[in-house]
Amino acid sequence: MAELLQFVIAGLKSGSIYALVALGFTIVYAATGAINFAQGEFYMLGGMLGVWFVSLGLPVPVAALCAVVSAAAAGALFELAAVRPIAGGDPLRIIIVTIGGSVVLRQLALHLFGPDELTLASFTPGPSIRLFGAAIERQTLWIWALTLVAVVGLVILYRRTAFGKAMRATSLRRDAARLVGIDARAMVTASFALAAGLGALAGLAVTPLTQTAFDVGAGIGVKGFSAAILGGLGNPIAAVGGGLVLGLLESLAAGYLDPIYKDAISLIVLLAVLFLRPQGLLGGSGKEKV
Amino acid sequence: MSSRRARAIVIVISTLTIALLPLVVQDRFLLKIFTFVGLNALVVVGISLLFGYAGQVSLGHAGFVGLGAYTAAFLVARLDLPWLLAMVAAGLVTALGGMVLAVPSLRLKGHYLAMATLGFGELMTLGFKEADFVTGGVNGFSGVPFPSVGALVLDTPQQLYWLVWSVVGVALLLAGNIVASRPGRAMRALHGSELGAQASGVDVVGVKVRAFVLSATFAGLSGALYASIVGFISPSLFTTAASVTFLAMAVIGGSNSLAGPLLSVVLLTLLEYLDALVPGISRTTAEVIQAYQADIYGLAIIAVILFAPSGLAGMWRRTRSTV
Repeated sequence: MAELLQFVIAGLKSGSIYALVALGFTIVYAATGAINFAQGEFYMLGGMLGVWFVSLGLPVPVAALCAVVSAAAAGALFELAAVRPIAGGDPLRIIIVTIGGSVVLRQLALHLFGPDELTLASFTPGPSIRLFGAAIERQTLWIWALTLVAVVGLVILYRRTAFGKAMRATSLRRDAARLVGIDARAMVTASFALAAGLGALAGLAVTPLTQTAFDVGAGIGVKGFSAAILGGLGNPIAAVGGGLVLGLLESLAAGYLDPIYKDAISLIVLLAVLFLRPQGLLGGSGKEKV
Repeated sequence: MSSRRARAIVIVISTLTIALLPLVVQDRFLLKIFTFVGLNALVVVGISLLFGYAGQVSLGHAGFVGLGAYTAAFLVARLDLPWLLAMVAAGLVTALGGMVLAVPSLRLKGHYLAMATLGFGELMTLGFKEADFVTGGVNGFSGVPFPSVGALVLDTPQQLYWLVWSVVGVALLLAGNIVASRPGRAMRALHGSELGAQASGVDVVGVKVRAFVLSATFAGLSGALYASIVGFISPSLFTTAASVTFLAMAVIGGSNSLAGPLLSVVLLTLLEYLDALVPGISRTTAEVIQAYQADIYGLAIIAVILFAPSGLAGMWRRTRSTV
């Protein structure tokens, strides 16, 4: 029983991380209809920038804020420089540009921060918390709390603020949104920034537990996308659900079957969903209109 | 001079240069580099059909290269099968892999397919690492014998160079015929507009599957040749980073062209070995270029998409039309 609980805790921990990355994919997809293949790199940037700001002597909360804001700025900059000039054109070109962007961001991190694995101290040091024979690391509580804050914040943003409503309007019907005076292009930039910030938050929160390096982005990108597509791309709540389900599946498969399944599960989920039900488990029929 | 005649002259000159190179270049290391250029070219010719002509993105072709390499290595080194048979088997296995991976492409839009191929590539890398009873795991697979047909063993750098470039030549002939005929036009129609192609009676499913199978087979053969030429393979050779490099070569080369991608493979592969090729270049310059190699690829594909969407081939076409 304690063992099962331990696996569930581990699953919900990585699941929350996947959920944040998946939200980033969902937000950009809603705004542009394209997949941002550089999404995982912002997760990497979050961790690396966090380590760097802490090494400058900033207290952890300030360093964390700086890291997330810088990553979001990098996301916006990337959109402005590389994606906006080709927006609305051949989707193939957006795919290639975001792939190029992921390579550039990874190399940039390599040149700036070096090839070594880096780590961060726990946000609040101290022993693990015992719960029915299972242990919860304090950092895991931070991950859950930050994920919850991010999701609730996102819901409030989308439902209660004019800015969020403008973003939703743009993703529903771009031309109609422009007719009522919404700057649709700015909304796309904002969605890249938001997605990058969420990814960075995930990468930052998990670094004390897993370490980070310049090349962790691609792997987490695949996992985040698996989570997003499991829920059906384009639905933020489903993306969070997809992340948690994927985290649980991984943790249970690694715990009860074999640790090598930990990395295989997300790839199998990804391929299975794409082959069998590309609109996701919760999505509609997904037929493309002419 | 008509453009047809110019084309013919360029083809004859480059074929002769490639064919006669080993008679001029005696250095073993240089010949090995030029052999690697051929191996990359084989992969990129396939990706050009798939990406440049049919408009389908693959981020998993290194997975096919690895699949071909491990299949051939295992059959020759562990099961003692004849080399030629192992090559055929590697080609068939990767063709089958290409067919399976083409299945989601039948109903998925571009970016889903790109993700599916990325997932496939990552899964293959994981498989190469974990299935150590076949692949030797992360330590790699060593002791693959040289190519041989009957009693004839090809083991000199010249012979290996000619072997690889003959295969590249056959692949280019095949690809050139395809793009100049009906299937090639169908691919281009698909690239332009899938619905439009469908409405004009193009068998969209068939075109995509064939492009996928052919490009996977080319990649698999390249891997199989690599294994028997170098003798050692390991999972780190067949990563997503390698897939991105192949795709970048095809993107930079340009769509709707075979010559463009071929030129880009030659230039980009040689860039990696610049210090061996240009005698005067300092060790540090070469090291800087190597450290920034991936940056060059990343920036180049962004620049190509933003400023010259049809790549090297497009630039060439433009200069010709303005003259």
